This record gives sequence, C-alpha cells and structure tokens, in this order.
Amino acid sequence: MAWKRPALTSAVVYKDPRAALKFLEDAFGFEIILLIEGPDGSVGHSEMRFGSGAVMVGSEWTAEHKSPASIGGLMTQTVHVQLEDPNDSIDAHCERARAAGAVIVAEPETQFYGDRTYRCKDPEGHIWTIGQTVAATTPEEWEAQTGLKTTVFKEW
Amino acid sequence: MASRVLISVRVKSTPLRAFEVFTSDIALWWNSNPEFVFTPRSPGEMAFEGQTRLVERLPSGKVFEVGKVTAWEPGVRLAFGWRQATFTPDQMTDVEVIFEAVGAETRVTVIHTGWDSVPREHVAKHGMENGYFLKRHGDWWRELIDRMGERV
Repeated sequence: MAWKRPALTSAVVYKDPRAALKFLEDAFGFEIILLIEGPDGSVGHSEMRFGSGAVMVGSEWTAEHKSPASIGGLMTQTVHVQLEDPNDSIDAHCERARAAGAVIVAEPETQFYGDRTYRCKDPEGHIWTIGQTVAATTPEEWEAQTGLKTTVFKEW
Repeated sequence: MASRVLISVRVKSTPLRAFEVFTSDIALWWNSNPEFVFTPRSPGEMAFEGQTRLVERLPSGKVFEVGKVTAWEPGVRLAFGWRQATFTPDQMTDVEVIFEAVGAETRVTVIHTGWDSVPREHVAKHGMENGYFLKRHGDWWRELIDRMGERV
C-alpha cells in the first residue's frame, strides 16, 4: 500500500532549511520524500516522512514566516513525534538526537498517561517532543494520579 | 547549479529486485500522464533497450528515444536522459535513480534535473513556474514509483 500524505502536515520554518533537512534525518530518522531546489540550489519545498506522519521543511519565505532563530527563540507551535514501531527505543532515539546536536530540554521520563517522552530543541530553536507508549493505562488511572478529569470522545 | 526535484519512495524488495522491476518491467508499471507526454502521439509502451536507451514505442510503430542510459549499475544506480519530442537540441533533462537498502526495504530515490533549460513558455511546462512544475512532476514520479513498488 503506497504511502499517502496525511491529512494534517506541519510546515516548519528554518533560516537554513538545507541544514534542517540533514539535522532532522540525523537526529530523528526523518526521511526526505520530496525536495524541490531552485536554480541557485536553494530549498524551494521539501517534505519529510516519519512513520505515518510528515513535515514540510521550508525557508522564511514571507515576512510572516520566521524561524525561532530570527525572533528571539519564540515559537507558537511545536511538533510532537510519536514512535510507532514498538522495536524503537525512545531512550536510544534521544541519544541519537543528542549526538546529532539536539539540545535536550527534558530527558526521557515516563508520564502518568503511559507514554515515555523527551523534549529537545533543534539548532534553530524549534521545540520537538517525542513520545512512545510504554504502558497501557486508563483514564481512571490518570484521574486517580492527577485529579484531572478526562473525557475521551469516541471517534466518529 | 541547476534546479532539481527529488522524490523518495520505499518499496518492499531488495535493491536488485527493485532495479530489475524498474528497468525490465517499466511497461507494466508506467502510467502515462497527459501533462508530461513525450510526443504528440503518446502514450506508447516504455522500454529500456539493451541497457543503452529508454524509448517509448508508439502505437504508430515509431520508436521515440526518451534518452540515452548514462549509468546502469544493477541494484545501485540508473541514469538516463529525458527529452520530449518538442524540445530543441539544447533542451535536455536528466534522471538519476538511486536504489538503497533500508532494513528489509529499498529506498528508491528519483532525482530529475535540467528543467531550467525548458522555459515556462514551452508547451512542456504548460505555463507553469519552474518550482510549481517540479512539484507536480515530483508528485507524478512518486505515483509512478508507488506503482512500481506494487510490482516488486
């Protein structure tokens, strides 16, 4: 079955998208599936795949598209990556990211909802969270641990 | 430096098998697209002839040479020229296909360069700006390699 673009895809903005493509491959194991370069070798458009998801990696192509590196490290969105392959290890994934130059903001830690997660910044300051489900837990257990009420909406 | 479009698709086979299906079975998985025809009399049947050239055998019996093969490395790399009948002699594009093992699968990467030599006004570009044209062309390559992947 051919891979299809997911219905939702984040487009992440970089001052140096070419360096970002390499970093995202080295650090997270993302795979380039589409790259369009202009006559000057600049990245016109690119898409990377990870499991069933994808991100677009682009430049600051309008005055309103800025990398955190251009606006004092601020951002309004972060991208969450979920490891789908049970053979993957999130701790190993974190070490791979660290070795590739990611700044680990929060080391891997198992959360009350059964996922083990870590958080890191890429070289231009985008925050990425990475998670993997390591234990089956129920909303009742979440409520007992945190006091927060959980409402789970069934899919259509 | 020239503009280029690169696409990458995983197929479930060894690199050698993927290379064989790409070259030997191209008539089976190729899917002609009216936006990217080689000749006004296309579509025909695609074939690699003698590891030397890629052709389209037209329904009229004529054989159109799409391009000469410039690299034939089974399981590793394939490269060939790519021109349409409406190109002038100085208009030429090139395709490189790379086959890499990734675990039990093969990553097939297609890199198509040279579309800068074909101006926007040329019939092949349909008036499209180069970057947009490359995006559409890349999407078509993805569709083609997906189809190839179903035959490995």
